Amino acid sequence: MAIASLLLLLLQAPAFAHHGVSAYDVTKQITLKGVVTDFQFINPHSEVRLDVTDDSGHTVSWLCEAGSLNFLVRRGWSRNSLKAGDRITVMGNASKNGSPNLRLTKVTLPDGTDLDPLVGTQNAR
Amino acid sequence: MVYKPRFPEYLSYGLRASQRLCGERILGKRDPAQETSMQYLLASSLAFSLSLLAATLSFSPAAICQNAEKKAAPSANARAGQPVDLSGVWDSQHRGPGGLQTVDSTFHGEIPPMTPWGEERYLATRPSQGPRSVPDSTDPVYPTKLGAPGCFPPGVPRIYLQIFPMEIIQIPGRVLMRFEFDHSLREVWVDGRGHPADLNPTYMGNSIGKWEGDTLVVDTIGFNDKTWLDREGRRHSDQLHIIERFRRTGHGTLADDITMEDPKTFTKPWTTQVIFELRPDWEILEHACADYVNFDEVLKLQGQTK
Repeated sequence: MAIASLLLLLLQAPAFAHHGVSAYDVTKQITLKGVVTDFQFINPHSEVRLDVTDDSGHTVSWLCEAGSLNFLVRRGWSRNSLKAGDRITVMGNASKNGSPNLRLTKVTLPDGTDLDPLVGTQNAR
Repeated sequence: MVYKPRFPEYLSYGLRASQRLCGERILGKRDPAQETSMQYLLASSLAFSLSLLAATLSFSPAAICQNAEKKAAPSANARAGQPVDLSGVWDSQHRGPGGLQTVDSTFHGEIPPMTPWGEERYLATRPSQGPRSVPDSTDPVYPTKLGAPGCFPPGVPRIYLQIFPMEIIQIPGRVLMRFEFDHSLREVWVDGRGHPADLNPTYMGNSIGKWEGDTLVVDTIGFNDKTWLDREGRRHSDQLHIIERFRRTGHGTLADDITMEDPKTFTKPWTTQVIFELRPDWEILEHACADYVNFDEVLKLQGQTK
């Protein structure tokens, strides 16, 4: 009985939710300007939620991925580097399937400072 | 070892000397008429001065020198009496083209051919890295196949491919390698002992080491067969025997020459090298492999609230 419930739990268990590098088009970079709505300084990947409004006034919420907090903290990041309301410019690789997901390669803060999001050539885990 | 009296003992001697002088006067052993007040004053002053001098001497130059030695030679303490100081935080990762951090999925050097047994087990693995990577990986450390738990210890030498740094700490009789990845630890006994006779197989094996000049030679056996040698799915048997030669090639670089012997899996030894760079301003931070699964999702699955 115990084994059956354990198996049931395992089958439902969230998979190692790892969108690898293969999900992004690494051959080109795009630039986005937007407003931060959330910043998660975590492992395995830090995440920035960015509201990007186009010329017609339509806003899309992008999920932008950076490296592990263990790496970012050694490159000048902290949990306070970004906060909701910050207007930032980002560069990165967009998702291949057209969904609003970005693998960050550069973050430029309101004061013009650049932060290195430290993503690797592979699934840097 | 020379006995060093401490301040209270000097002080009590001086006080007792003063008391004796005073006492003798009070008890009438000295004729107060004959003892001038000047003599008495001199004697008790001398006794008190001596006790004060004794007090300052307890903070002797020898004691001061000892403290200074401790501060001036931190490396002597860092290497715990061992021939070379290997202590510090070391990082084996490097930047590749475009400044992007490269992640190696296997080790450099020629990979030897496998035995038929080894080949069969290799082809059955489904890695998430390297040329044979697949979306539904069965990697024991990073499975992406739904339902697989993951986060089994990476073992040796795969731990060197996990992209987080390591710290070497030397204590008497041991060299510890503390890896940031999932707070993994390797312990190398350098006190002259051999491998235990009845080894229980483990993920990280049993390591003993000895110094040959400026090189730490580490011998590891006693592995279970659950780990992968690399991130591309190369398995091994419980006969795996790893010899490593650690040498500080410069102040900021550490070379680890690795030889893996496993005649059950490979037809010849696999030799390779990992180079580490010293990171004097880094500390080992917390990393939990379990964080690859979303904690909030697990709570939801278990019917719990945040």
